[in-house]
Amino acid sequence: METIIEMRGIRKAFPGVVANDNINLVVAPGEIHAILGENGAGKSTLMSILFGLYKADRGEIFLRGEPVSIDNPNDATRLGIGMVHQHFKLVHNFTVTENIVLGQEDRANGLIQLEEAKQKIIALSDQYGLKVNPDSLIEDISVGMQQRVEILKMLYRDADILIFDEPTAVLTPQEVQELINVMRELSNEGKTIILITHKLHEIKSIADRVTVLRKGAQVAVLDVATSSIADMAEAMVGRPVVFDLQKAESTPGDVVLSVRGLSVYSPVYKKNVVNDMTFDVRRGEILCIAGVEGNGQTQLIEAIAGLTESQGEVWLLGENISDDSIRERNLKGISHIPEDRHKHGLVLDFKLSNNLILQNYFEPPMQRRMMLNFSNINEFSASLIERFDVRSGKGIHTNTRSMSGGNQQKAIIAREVIRDTDLLIAVQPTRGLDVGAIEYIHQQLIAQRDQGKAVLMVSLELDEVLSVSDRILVMFEGNHMGEFDAATVSDSELGVAMAGGNR
Amino acid sequence: MKRWWQRSALAENELFVSSLSSVLAIVIGLLFGFLLMVVVSPSESIQGFRIILTGGFNDGLLSVGSMIVFATPLIFTGLSVAFAYRTGLFNIGASGQLMMGALAATAVGVPQWWRYEGELRIAMDNPFLQLGSWHWVAALLAALLAGALWGLIPGVLKAYFNVNEVVATIMLNYIAMFVNSLVITRYLFNSLIGRAFSVVPTALFPRMGMENIFTDGLRSSQANVSFFIAIFFVIVIYFVLNYTVFGYELKAVGFNRDAARYAGMNAKRNLMLSMMISGGLAGMGGASLYLFAGRNLDPVLQILPQGFDGIAIALLGLGSPIGVFFAGMFFSSLKVGGQFLQLLSFRIEIIDIIISVVIYLAALSLILNRLVLYVLKREKQ
Amino acid sequence: MKKLLTLMLSVTLVFGLAACAETATEPTPTTPEETTPEETTPETPTFRIAMVTDIGDIDDRSFNQGTWEGVVAFAERNNITHRYYRPLEGGTAASLDAIALAVQGGAEIIVTPGFLFEPAIFQAQQLYPNVRFVLIDGVPQPGDFSEFLVAQNTVSILFDEHESGFLAGYAAVQDGFRELGYFGGVAVPAVVRFGVGFIAGANYAAEELGVTISLGSDRFDYFGSFAPSDDNKNAAAAWYLQGTEIIFVAAGGAGASVMAAAEEAGAKVIGVDVDQAGESTTVVTSALKQLGVVVEQALQAWLDGAFPGGETQVKGASNQGVGLPADFSRFNNPAATEAAYDAIYPLVASGEIDVPATYEELVAFLTAEGISTANIPLQSDVE
Repeated sequence: METIIEMRGIRKAFPGVVANDNINLVVAPGEIHAILGENGAGKSTLMSILFGLYKADRGEIFLRGEPVSIDNPNDATRLGIGMVHQHFKLVHNFTVTENIVLGQEDRANGLIQLEEAKQKIIALSDQYGLKVNPDSLIEDISVGMQQRVEILKMLYRDADILIFDEPTAVLTPQEVQELINVMRELSNEGKTIILITHKLHEIKSIADRVTVLRKGAQVAVLDVATSSIADMAEAMVGRPVVFDLQKAESTPGDVVLSVRGLSVYSPVYKKNVVNDMTFDVRRGEILCIAGVEGNGQTQLIEAIAGLTESQGEVWLLGENISDDSIRERNLKGISHIPEDRHKHGLVLDFKLSNNLILQNYFEPPMQRRMMLNFSNINEFSASLIERFDVRSGKGIHTNTRSMSGGNQQKAIIAREVIRDTDLLIAVQPTRGLDVGAIEYIHQQLIAQRDQGKAVLMVSLELDEVLSVSDRILVMFEGNHMGEFDAATVSDSELGVAMAGGNR
Repeated sequence: MKRWWQRSALAENELFVSSLSSVLAIVIGLLFGFLLMVVVSPSESIQGFRIILTGGFNDGLLSVGSMIVFATPLIFTGLSVAFAYRTGLFNIGASGQLMMGALAATAVGVPQWWRYEGELRIAMDNPFLQLGSWHWVAALLAALLAGALWGLIPGVLKAYFNVNEVVATIMLNYIAMFVNSLVITRYLFNSLIGRAFSVVPTALFPRMGMENIFTDGLRSSQANVSFFIAIFFVIVIYFVLNYTVFGYELKAVGFNRDAARYAGMNAKRNLMLSMMISGGLAGMGGASLYLFAGRNLDPVLQILPQGFDGIAIALLGLGSPIGVFFAGMFFSSLKVGGQFLQLLSFRIEIIDIIISVVIYLAALSLILNRLVLYVLKREKQ
Repeated sequence: MKKLLTLMLSVTLVFGLAACAETATEPTPTTPEETTPEETTPETPTFRIAMVTDIGDIDDRSFNQGTWEGVVAFAERNNITHRYYRPLEGGTAASLDAIALAVQGGAEIIVTPGFLFEPAIFQAQQLYPNVRFVLIDGVPQPGDFSEFLVAQNTVSILFDEHESGFLAGYAAVQDGFRELGYFGGVAVPAVVRFGVGFIAGANYAAEELGVTISLGSDRFDYFGSFAPSDDNKNAAAAWYLQGTEIIFVAAGGAGASVMAAAEEAGAKVIGVDVDQAGESTTVVTSALKQLGVVVEQALQAWLDGAFPGGETQVKGASNQGVGLPADFSRFNNPAATEAAYDAIYPLVASGEIDVPATYEELVAFLTAEGISTANIPLQSDVE
């Protein structure tokens, strides 16, 4: 087989962990090759080695059959390798053209020749269907267009190997479809594409072959056309995965949370980032707030939890809690699985047991006469660990920082769920977790619902929104874009609402 | 089955690894000092090194007393910095808090104050004189309050205006220095000696018979009750941090303010309390520095170094109250012992060099940590 | 790596052994006088003349340095071992520790510069009756000034600072300076005397020459510290800006601030205590305490077996204890000014001119000389 990239026997170890162990990646020219793996499987490390950000401890890289040494991104660029990072690397107050030529400026008499560059960019964007306005400022254009700028940046540098790192994480469904079309076009034009992702259906819909990594080792190279999503998932996780959530029909009861005309003003954006939101959450249902990232979901939840100033009213179980402190709201019946588990959910430098009592340390029997009661704390923590299957090296004494993301999230869920409150808020509860952990967390949320709790969830993943929730509320630029029945709504209906279209 | 003494087991014991790195810092620092002495005067180097190692025991119980006296303010400031650090705050202002504490203690302890009628300066009796044998307690409390107030200011600034406490505390060091100079020269000035009045005997820390213990028969050290007060607070802080709900909250806020807020803790209040306690500890350090005979607060425009030493001691003591106690004693032992180097042809600056090397290495403890871990984890080949 | 491990192991071993040695000597600390000299005497050289410094460094270009230079000059001339000891920190206890250390180091006579040693010497002279003490610029007292006691093994040396200040003020005005200023460190008695003498000398010369000078309340101030700082420099710079030609700065190390301001303003400074000409070319002259001279006098007396124990000696113009440096070259009119100085010095020495030491005496002195007191600084500024 003709190859354009061949990475042979790549090994890379960091202190305490082998990120890549004897990986052999073979990519054919013009191929769309996916790298699949759970978080921490070594996908990014492998691509960083290819892009010259890391140096492999062992192994060789061949490009177009020639052995090469890639010591830094400049080498990679020179060899025709380009990368679109998950977080775009653009200068916000520069125009599209300026961003694209940055570092590759044509100069004449010390002056940058932007006009020529602009013509080249227009030609490229026509050729590949990458619609951009070369004169717009980055800060004025959408996330999808920013991504197209990143792609043009690679093409401008004549890259013929394009690496995409989790490119769909920030896009609406429509934008995802556009991206897929662009990638097909690029592939047809002879470009080679490497796609890093953990989303199986994306691979299914676009990739030719997929290399699966698990815990730093290469476990499979599959032909996408002949493999099912279940096959890929099993290779990734190492065991069969259940995709269809077993979920009974919801039976909504009394209203638990009632939000009335809630607005949050942002002094940064000088406008309401949450604007006049009104909705209810009932017992026995999961209401999901859907929307593209950054449309006010975070601030809405913060306002409900009392973490930020807001106008309007929040009622819990028929009581107006709008003026209550965070602690009072929690005690009256809110549990909260926060969006950012490292920043908001855990004190990473605490040992596990100390994190598990973060919501009840001040109540007996965890304390007695303002002294922590360690025997009760340890007993309580150990029971949570067992009941929620939180895996950790040294049990309740484990340093929380050293735990895996999934187990950290399990610890938070254990802590919040055990409080047995009427309202459970879960913001992006599965972000960055592997398939196995996601499955577990979804089951937990549904179990809470079935016990008669009201569950308010925020998710950016459309799959998750559709499979877990009973009702869906879409937010766009802080506004309520309509509520949908999860059982009947279609992807495109949601997509239109998420993009701010009419109801 | 892994036994605790096996290397792999030791490598997992964080306390052991970090303690070992502190000890390593000390050993390398001492070794460096020894090399320095070999260079300066080879013939006396062995003897000099022995003096350094013997430290505060060079002159028997008398110098042990001196060591205790010298260590007390350092333990207080070290405790102040360590406590703040454990609650997520970097208190560079222990010096300022200490100076305010010293000023308050002196103001309560002196026999008279000056008041002014126009340009005319009139002596007035210090009302605290009436407290009798409780006088020193009032002086200590005044120091605690003054230090706490001086710590509260950056606490409020951080809680409500998000002013970085490092900047605020550094600034307040200077303000404390000028306040000291102003108050001393205007209200507490003894023009005979160009310093503040001497503290009256009732305001001195009681020596509780220690003058009969820490003596060479001829002279006694100034060892006094403040050392035990420092130990008392070492235990209290250790206890608060590790066993109380309050300490748990403080640590949670310190390690992760956002998560603490999510859990419903009042991060602002805890932050201010934390700075107040830290400042109060440093303030008592100021009292321990000046509430004894033969010391007078000086209006000289100079920031007292004990607060900065406190940072080093907290670092060396791994931020733990118990560690701070030992680090403070070690510092003091080096300093007091270093005095005896003057009997040889060495300058006591060698001690300062050793201490500096130790601090640098302690600051680089991460590297030493790695080294210790590497050695422990190294597989037999 | 193996080497490093071995190294560390050996270090630990050394450390451990030393620690053992330490514990071995520890159990008998109750009689240190018996054990310590035995341990140290055979190996440690003794130093017969010792000086204990105050909290400053030995090269402070002020008291420590002036005193130490006298000690060194005398000791080297007579080939006697000598050494200085620095206390751990400020305060009486630390000073006493340093004195004890000096005694342990074999000192037979200990020189201490500065009045801050008064309480320490008060105790030390009784603790070590066989050691002689020379206390410069102070008289032993227990700390609260309740009594003054110069024991038979101590000599206390004071200076007539006002005479020194008088001579400096007189020479400056004789040399042609008219716009004068005075900065003191802190208004302690010695510093006040410098200032009072300076006012007297300047006005005396002005009367002699029939000129008007400017040295009023706005040109007479105290820094409140003896340490150099930008604030001190700014204060001096402001005066220079307003036309002050020369500032007499009696503030130890803080003088450096005034010299820095003078360098920028192209103006002049009069130093204090020791000859500060080496610090800056702006230093025209210095109001000296002849520290070196009096230290040598005291040490000589001790060597001759005529140690004036129990005495409080006041060193003034009459016994060469104060004065200006011999080098007049930085004056505008070196020859004329030196001549005027040489003429006035005997008058001061003989007491014919009774230089005032306090503000009251100053007013009386000027009135007696028929000089107006209208333009001199107010009492509240001086004391």
